[in-house]
Amino acid sequence: MDQLLPEVAVDTVKVLRRIGCAVEFPEDQTCCGQPALNTGYWGDARPCAEHFVRVFKNADVVVSPSGSCVSVIRLFYPELLAHSSLREDAAALASRTFEFSEFLVKVAAVTQVGAIFPHTVTYHASCHGLRELKLRDEPLRLLRQVDGLKLIEMVRSEECCGFGGTFAVKFADISGAMGTSKAESVAATGAEFVTATDPSCLMHLRGILGKRQASTRTIYLASILAQDGLAQKSSAQGRP
Amino acid sequence: MKSADLVHREIIQRGMDSYDVAHLKGRARIKDWEAARQKCQEIKREAINHLDRYLLQFEEKVIARGGHVFWAANSEEACTYVKNLATRLGVRTVVKSKSMVTEEIQLSPVLEKAGIKVWETDLGEFIVQLREEPPYHIVTPAMHLNRGQIAKLFREKLDPAIDSDDPVYLMAAARRILRKAFFAAEMGISGANFLVADAGVIAISTNEGNGRLCTSIPRIHVVVTGIEKIIPRLEDLAVLWPVLATSGTGQGITTYGTLIGGPRRPGEVDGAEEFHVVLVDNGRSQLLADAEQREVLHCIRCGACLNICPVFRHVGGHTYGTTYPGPIGSVLTPHLNGIKEFKHLSYASSLCGACSSVCPVKIDLAHHLLQNRRNATEAGATKSSERLIFRAWRYAMLRPRMYALGGWSVRKALRIIYGLGLAGTILDPMRVWNRYRSPVPLPSESFRARWRKDLGTN
Amino acid sequence: MQSGQVIFDAINNPLERFQQECVGNLMECTLTADSAASARQLSKVLQSLPEGETFVQDDPTLRRLIELAAPARAIRWSSQGAPGEASQATVTLAEALIAQTGSILVTAACGGRGASVIAPCHIVYATVAQLVPDLATALSRVSQERKLDSNSFACVISGSSRTADIEKILVQGAHGPRRLVVVLQTAT
Repeated sequence: MDQLLPEVAVDTVKVLRRIGCAVEFPEDQTCCGQPALNTGYWGDARPCAEHFVRVFKNADVVVSPSGSCVSVIRLFYPELLAHSSLREDAAALASRTFEFSEFLVKVAAVTQVGAIFPHTVTYHASCHGLRELKLRDEPLRLLRQVDGLKLIEMVRSEECCGFGGTFAVKFADISGAMGTSKAESVAATGAEFVTATDPSCLMHLRGILGKRQASTRTIYLASILAQDGLAQKSSAQGRP
Repeated sequence: MKSADLVHREIIQRGMDSYDVAHLKGRARIKDWEAARQKCQEIKREAINHLDRYLLQFEEKVIARGGHVFWAANSEEACTYVKNLATRLGVRTVVKSKSMVTEEIQLSPVLEKAGIKVWETDLGEFIVQLREEPPYHIVTPAMHLNRGQIAKLFREKLDPAIDSDDPVYLMAAARRILRKAFFAAEMGISGANFLVADAGVIAISTNEGNGRLCTSIPRIHVVVTGIEKIIPRLEDLAVLWPVLATSGTGQGITTYGTLIGGPRRPGEVDGAEEFHVVLVDNGRSQLLADAEQREVLHCIRCGACLNICPVFRHVGGHTYGTTYPGPIGSVLTPHLNGIKEFKHLSYASSLCGACSSVCPVKIDLAHHLLQNRRNATEAGATKSSERLIFRAWRYAMLRPRMYALGGWSVRKALRIIYGLGLAGTILDPMRVWNRYRSPVPLPSESFRARWRKDLGTN
Repeated sequence: MQSGQVIFDAINNPLERFQQECVGNLMECTLTADSAASARQLSKVLQSLPEGETFVQDDPTLRRLIELAAPARAIRWSSQGAPGEASQATVTLAEALIAQTGSILVTAACGGRGASVIAPCHIVYATVAQLVPDLATALSRVSQERKLDSNSFACVISGSSRTADIEKILVQGAHGPRRLVVVLQTAT
């Protein structure tokens, strides 16, 4: 995300600051270790996780724009680091790490962030956020408070988009087919934008929609919330 | 590639949509679904954690009633037992009701080679048997076919006079033909959904009545079942039966919940004169020994994980090439058939977790897929090139400046490659991605660069 | 059973629930006031069926019922053997009726295994006194009364046989009965 979708992080920082948070970005951070963990290389994921725990050790709260990363930290670090000297630090970190929408609604108790986005939007329930972090209506509550935004429900909103990390490349055909199903659900809503809590879902969907020359554009949740009506470059992707 | 076969996909999609509707209706009949799942998990956990005790209790009661119990270590032992029994008793025709375990041990070919005619009597199994292909789904074996294909099959293999593709007409034709088999067969073979320890009976959940006929008319009844089907008490069925039906087909309960504990007793009107239960291990006791994955044996074979899996919906049951497809198949098969050969199944998943969320006995299937992946790499079953890639990845991830430089280099390289119009060619490292998607964005600045430039100051 | 009450809705009116479930299960359930009315109902059902043998569980209650109904059909009693392949109907008693799922519970004592599956029409003669609220109660009773020691077979039947193996379309009447008829007498 740091490398391929920086605007996601930029907008996340913007919204957090708007609601009064002091935001730091520890520059030594690299990756939570998910690619290695998910591909079965736990021996390679482990040192990566330990590095992560060290980098964020002194943070009050850690917020990430990625639901899947947060689920790795909360649900898998305890198992991955069970025999590490950092296991207690990892457990402590897990309890203070949140996904962006989760942080806003459940920790900061904020749903109104002064956002203006007069467009039709449909919501894809990213798997990790939904099933591992149990985020069901936090993102929706935030979207409902956005001025001018019309939320359109898609069928099978909870069905996986097909990204799945290395799955997208290892099983490209199936991943493509799943993405196409999701793109069809999106297109059926007629919405101008599709949003989600996981930027990787959106990156994958953007690619699928682009290939189909569909008009729906992808936009990360924080990017919607960052819109405050002032003239600025939109962080939405896809053809206008 | 099956997912490109649009007709097939449409049939499957319709079948799944119809399951979705029925399933929701079925769920609504259970007041507290989460409590039901919890209860079922507890029942199976108790059974599996004391497997030996409950199996022995079951065996004792069956034998006391004049039945026979055979413990088969593997497929070969199970098939040999049934074949020898059949040949010894002069069996020429067998009627079979649905049993995934008989698929697993490949029983039918063994019997047929011994000159015994085997009739699959469950309609879906009957259809795939005529097509000489394996079942597509553990609950609805012929869901990949439409009525036109089935009518054509019946016309070609059964009766040239078949002139309609109406499902009612086709069922009536199957009934007419199979009825002769039910009344002629010397042996009926069934599976069992559950083995009830305290009552010493097998429990079979069916809808068609074929299982009932297989276990009522022929003079020999053989049950082929996995050892993990055991449950402690008859009363456990009060929650297991509705949950199995709801998850399997969306019904409140299947039409027939049959309980059989032995051969016919003196004074009974009918029933088999001989009753044999073949308890199949075939790798299950090894899984039992694995504390981390033992719960996979809780599976009640309802098929819900198949129905919800987006991968299954796109590729279908035959693509897996295993007895048990779908998430449960991907998790289970490496344990039964070897990790090296079947690890790829655990990778054929986006790990969306839908299977875990729907499993009525709360098996955390997605987590087990991940553990299988870990087991595969630790067993050295993955490509060495991949191992090297992750070694290099790890090296970079521990060095923030190298990570930043690496990211910058990749973006720069891709920008050059795409600028030269080489997207999608052999020189494009993202060509697999680009086959189905327009290329990923290549921002000129990473987030950390922007942070350093103008976001760092609060 | 404690957990049963948590998981399933409480059944306050078993008779009403049983009748509702019968409708959903595609079963026919007719309430009758006394044995004369039951006999008339039985006669009516039998007359609607094609010519052929009627198999009846050999039990004094059913002997009386058949006498009252006096159907003009060949009767094969269970004491004469199992139902024939060409039987058009079977008539049996039940061990119990289950309101929760609209089920009848039969054992080998109710005319044998084939009696509830061979013929295209299975008729059950029962009384409201046999109705129990749920599966848990029925199974508990089977255990307590050791029904599975004195019977090699029992079955909980919740409808006519059916299949959805062709395009997930429900077809009523597969290999078992197409019609399951319950003649439910309110007075014993």
